[in-house]
Amino acid sequence: MNEHYRPTPGTPMEDLDTPCLVIDMDDLDNNMDVIAETYEGRTAKLRGHSKNHKTPAIAHRQIRRGGTVGGVCAAKVSEAEVMVHGGIPSVFITSEIVEPMKIDRLCSLADQAEMLVACDQAANARDISKAATARGVEVGVVIELETGLRRCGVREIDQGVALAKEIASLPGVRFRGVMSHQVIGDMPDREDRVVEANRTIKGVIDLKDAIEGEGIPMDIVSTGETWSYDVAAEIPGVTEIQGGSYLMMETHYSYMTEFHYAGKILTTIISTPRPGVAIGDAGVRAVSSLSGMPTVFDRPGVSVESMDSDHAVFKLESGASLKVGDQVLLIPAQQDAMVSRWDRFVGLRKGKVEVVWDILARGCHN
Amino acid sequence: MERPIFQPVGTPVEELDTPALVIDLDVMDRNIRTFQGYFAATTVKARPVVTSHLCPQIAHRQLDAGGTVGGIAVTTLGEAEVFANSGFSDILLANQVVTVSKIRRLCALAGQTSIGIAVDSPNNAQQLSSSAVAAGVELRVLVEIDAGMGRCGISPGIEAVALAQRVDGLPGLKLEGIMGSVPGPKGDDDPVQHEAKTKTNLQIVLDNKEAMEQAGLSIEVVSVGGAHCYAQAIKMPGVTEVRAGRYPLMDHRLKSFLPELNPAAKILASVISHPIDGMAVLDAGHKSTAPDQGRPVLEGIEGGNATRFSAEHGIVELEGEAQNKLKAGDKAWLVPYELGAAVNQYDYFRAAKNGKLEGFWPISARGRLA
Repeated sequence: MNEHYRPTPGTPMEDLDTPCLVIDMDDLDNNMDVIAETYEGRTAKLRGHSKNHKTPAIAHRQIRRGGTVGGVCAAKVSEAEVMVHGGIPSVFITSEIVEPMKIDRLCSLADQAEMLVACDQAANARDISKAATARGVEVGVVIELETGLRRCGVREIDQGVALAKEIASLPGVRFRGVMSHQVIGDMPDREDRVVEANRTIKGVIDLKDAIEGEGIPMDIVSTGETWSYDVAAEIPGVTEIQGGSYLMMETHYSYMTEFHYAGKILTTIISTPRPGVAIGDAGVRAVSSLSGMPTVFDRPGVSVESMDSDHAVFKLESGASLKVGDQVLLIPAQQDAMVSRWDRFVGLRKGKVEVVWDILARGCHN
Repeated sequence: MERPIFQPVGTPVEELDTPALVIDLDVMDRNIRTFQGYFAATTVKARPVVTSHLCPQIAHRQLDAGGTVGGIAVTTLGEAEVFANSGFSDILLANQVVTVSKIRRLCALAGQTSIGIAVDSPNNAQQLSSSAVAAGVELRVLVEIDAGMGRCGISPGIEAVALAQRVDGLPGLKLEGIMGSVPGPKGDDDPVQHEAKTKTNLQIVLDNKEAMEQAGLSIEVVSVGGAHCYAQAIKMPGVTEVRAGRYPLMDHRLKSFLPELNPAAKILASVISHPIDGMAVLDAGHKSTAPDQGRPVLEGIEGGNATRFSAEHGIVELEGEAQNKLKAGDKAWLVPYELGAAVNQYDYFRAAKNGKLEGFWPISARGRLA
């Protein structure tokens, strides 16, 4: 863990050692306020995904600014631990938790905060029920429906109804509702997103209706993500939206211009070996190249040609220039792959350090 | 930080909390002995690049096994600081350090331990010299030339010789030699063609060494990298050290080029769902496997292939008789495609012997990118 480097507040960006994960605080606050305003007065609220920032301080900041259910999503038990220990009162683990050791950790958390977990198989529900009963706690269970990601989740409505009946009959667990998650490609036109959201989210509404038709009540219909944060909230029945990328943003969602690029990697040019080429000190280990190369922020004529583990090769068009020691900001193609490689955010406002946040759940894969 | 359950020594590896990055120590020690054995009877020695594992315990084992120059190479200043604190007395930072604040850190470190640094521009040499003099230390300098990587490194030829002369004349710097990195194999490269290309690139470094010597300079060190070029480098008189990183733990990318070595570091994952016949979902996604440059490879299940990785999930497709294998709760092994990227996602190696846990080894330099 990088315990060495913690710039003091007021330090100008030019003096930061690089590579460095920085947040523009004005942009972050803008993105949080878009959420607060969007869900103001609506039934549906955001349950922000903590896997995107892994930082209790950021989760609390969004909850305070508004628009949320007052809790977060997490992808892993260990990530949920960090959020609960960081004072978040309600955490929804959106993955299936099946190993006995992890189920015990989940039940231990349920003694400290409201815990919800995704489920797609009856045997798993029974295992959680047993462990929760043994510890005298209650775990909220949400049935996951597969709607396009081709991974976890029940496939058929009937399967979901049968699972809901089983969960409702078990001690130690409380059936809370249903969830789905999906991803779409670029869809800049809002009308297209409305159609696509209705198409993909219809499944989880149908499942809700079928389960309620059997006399089993629920209070959570969780769906959506950054691309559908606004349109999903207009679908009757939806109670919470899972969204996370909106905070730091990424070029993948470039068409959602109401959100600003808040999270970036600051890199320094360490070599200009030949005309038209400059080498930066941030590579794949710093930025990630999973969904493509990062994009250079606000430097016309400069682009990322390639990256290796610890270097970025910048291509300069004629007219553009970079010299050794210059700093370049990179916007990620996918922000959560980038954030999960860092120990802290350095928050800058107007180019000066305002805050340093430890990314306490970095590395929480378990 | 990673928050694994610290299970007791002796725990069978397949019972470890997942995802877990597990090292088979016997395989690792064999890899180290085999690879460093190539340098036992030659004047060329290995300089382990610790960026691939970031773990001082492993680096100490490498230096203890013989066949090395007695020092290590790192890629970032933060890594150099961690390894200096772990007792390494000869550290080559095989990269450029250019900012005022980092040069100060570099010189402070040189007061603690012997530091080598790669330089590829006269201005940078001047900066390093001024700071070294101010700090009262001496930095060992290798002139880095571009030996085919198209990355850092001064162009070979007159410019490179001029830079070496410049370094030689500056106080606080000791011109030690020349350094070049040659491109590693890409997935679809033909080994024979790759070998020829490697020789050509290594020859560029040697030609420049000669040119520097003809200009009256003393060149003690000719450092080339990485592990894939050792076989050619050993046969080329003049090369003094091979910087190599991935050989102790290996990865899928290098396997076909060093078939005598075996993957020693693997990721243990659990199946969290088997939603339909022919598909299993693992709890290891790209955050715990880092498939930036290539997907990790599922091991030990015939008919099973790891085909997709999203942030938190890995998808295994199962064909034929494997259709109903990997049920929820079962374990699966993944061999990383690119070792350094995978290691960078963990804080601990789970060190194991004969299938039992020996201990948690801190990946002490993880995240020290700056």
